[in-house]
Amino acid sequence: MRKPLDTQVNMEVDLGGLRMKNPVTTASGTFAAGREYHDFVDVASLGAVTTKGVSLNGWTGNASPRIAETPSGMLNSIGLQNPGVAHLASEELPWLRSIGATVIVNVSGHSFDEYVEVIGSLDQTGLVDAYEINISCPNVDAGGMTIGTDPASVERVIGMCRAATKLPMIVKLTPNVTDITEIARAAEAAGADALSLINTLLGMAIDVERKKPQLARYVGGLSGPAVKPVALRMVWETYKAVNIPLLGMGGISTGIDAVEFMLAGARAVAVGTANFSNPEATVDVIDGIAAYCERHGVKDVNDLVGALE
Amino acid sequence: MPGLVNEKARIVSNDQVGPRLHVMVLEAPVLAKSIMPGQFVHMKVPGAPDHILRRPFSIYARDVQACTVDVLYQEVGTLTRFMPSLACGQEAELIGPIGNQWSAPARFADSACTHALLVGGGVGAAPLFMLAESLRALGCPTDVVLGAQTKDAIIARERYESLLGFEPFCATDDGTYGRAGFCTSLVEERLAQGCAYDGAPYDYLAVCGPEPLMRIVAGYGAQAGVYTEVSMEKRMACGIGACLSCVVDTVDGKRRSCVDGPIFDAAKVVW
Repeated sequence: MRKPLDTQVNMEVDLGGLRMKNPVTTASGTFAAGREYHDFVDVASLGAVTTKGVSLNGWTGNASPRIAETPSGMLNSIGLQNPGVAHLASEELPWLRSIGATVIVNVSGHSFDEYVEVIGSLDQTGLVDAYEINISCPNVDAGGMTIGTDPASVERVIGMCRAATKLPMIVKLTPNVTDITEIARAAEAAGADALSLINTLLGMAIDVERKKPQLARYVGGLSGPAVKPVALRMVWETYKAVNIPLLGMGGISTGIDAVEFMLAGARAVAVGTANFSNPEATVDVIDGIAAYCERHGVKDVNDLVGALE
Repeated sequence: MPGLVNEKARIVSNDQVGPRLHVMVLEAPVLAKSIMPGQFVHMKVPGAPDHILRRPFSIYARDVQACTVDVLYQEVGTLTRFMPSLACGQEAELIGPIGNQWSAPARFADSACTHALLVGGGVGAAPLFMLAESLRALGCPTDVVLGAQTKDAIIARERYESLLGFEPFCATDDGTYGRAGFCTSLVEERLAQGCAYDGAPYDYLAVCGPEPLMRIVAGYGAQAGVYTEVSMEKRMACGIGACLSCVVDTVDGKRRSCVDGPIFDAAKVVW
């Protein structure tokens, strides 16, 4: 089980009120609730663990095949399969607490009320350090991206979530919009403490021999190194448009990738698809950021944020 | 349960053994010792950075003394078509040992598996070989049915023959070796006749191969009242139970083929 190397660099960051021991968390849905990766990395040593999207009651998710590999990327249409918030609260969060992990719970819902109910059932447990409100999943018919592409819906649901909790609230944005800064400003206006971006880009792959889509649901979310330039551009645009901190993600697999996001304006970063090929990717990224700072004489990792010249 | 490792594994050999079929031998001391019949490894293939996902492979054989594991693979997609070009000395990474095990050895200990029939279709012959070895060592009468498209593709035949001391029951789609047609007819026949060793009815059936084969044989097993297990493989991303890509529909809901399987009670699979 690997931990980050010791460093003289201050790695601690504050993401909208969430104190993280380093700027690296996991992208929701790629890391379950951490336990599966604990043979490989000490999940308590990460800046935070962001858990798989959770809804009020369980969801069965989409039909198989649910993934397809594409050049330097992958498509997924898992469809937010999860056993419901009660299971998360009783089986997973206590374990994360017991090992001392910092926990961001990704909150999903079919309806505005469901988001609020999920928060309501977790808020008094003391097992959550922050929420990430998922208004950007491209793989469900109701909720998810259907909300996150409309500024009025964003303001309404985020306002309702804001009223339900005093904990730091991160809003996860979809890239499948004409202007992400418009959605970002709506979330900020409704009380978001931070924004995370990007969720996956809607995409498709076809098996020409069978003349069938690679995914049972035809379309799914593209992630991995293939999306990194798009994600980076959107972080940079959003950084200039809002005053709340950003959690950047999209194809990060090395410390250098992470530094790019921080220079573009991200206060913290999330490692997602890279976990699949490299189960130690989170710690590699932490060590890589620290090594970059040491090499450039940067004493505080916060000095990288928005430092693009 | 012992933890998972991500073991760096040097390629010792990588040889073609049949049409689009290859055996890669990798030096992996930890996994060679720890992997059990039915379990698999999740391989990061070297030299292919555009392929960001690992690929799951069952273990065809292992050699604890030589610290090696054998992987039988078939060229089916761009990455497996690239793999034959890998040279000895290149280093893969293997996460493992992943998943549950065939239950036959445990059932043998409980006298619930006294006569076993193993059915391997195509490269599905590979993950059954360690099970055959294990049942052989326990002294459990075990018959093997192998099916493949053509004679050159029944690559596991000789390995099984030298293990069992007699030839496995074989079928080829094109009739170039053994029974002509699908191996399902051989399975029906075996279930009707009973174990070749003493004619006793089978009480354990293990199947690995294309999903239609597993579905049909599972049906035969259910009809004959024989406990049947299948090894399911779905497209997989993490391989360790986190991503929920590889789920199988079962009567208990969706289960992960990586860590809830790959071995499933066939009666519980919703085909």
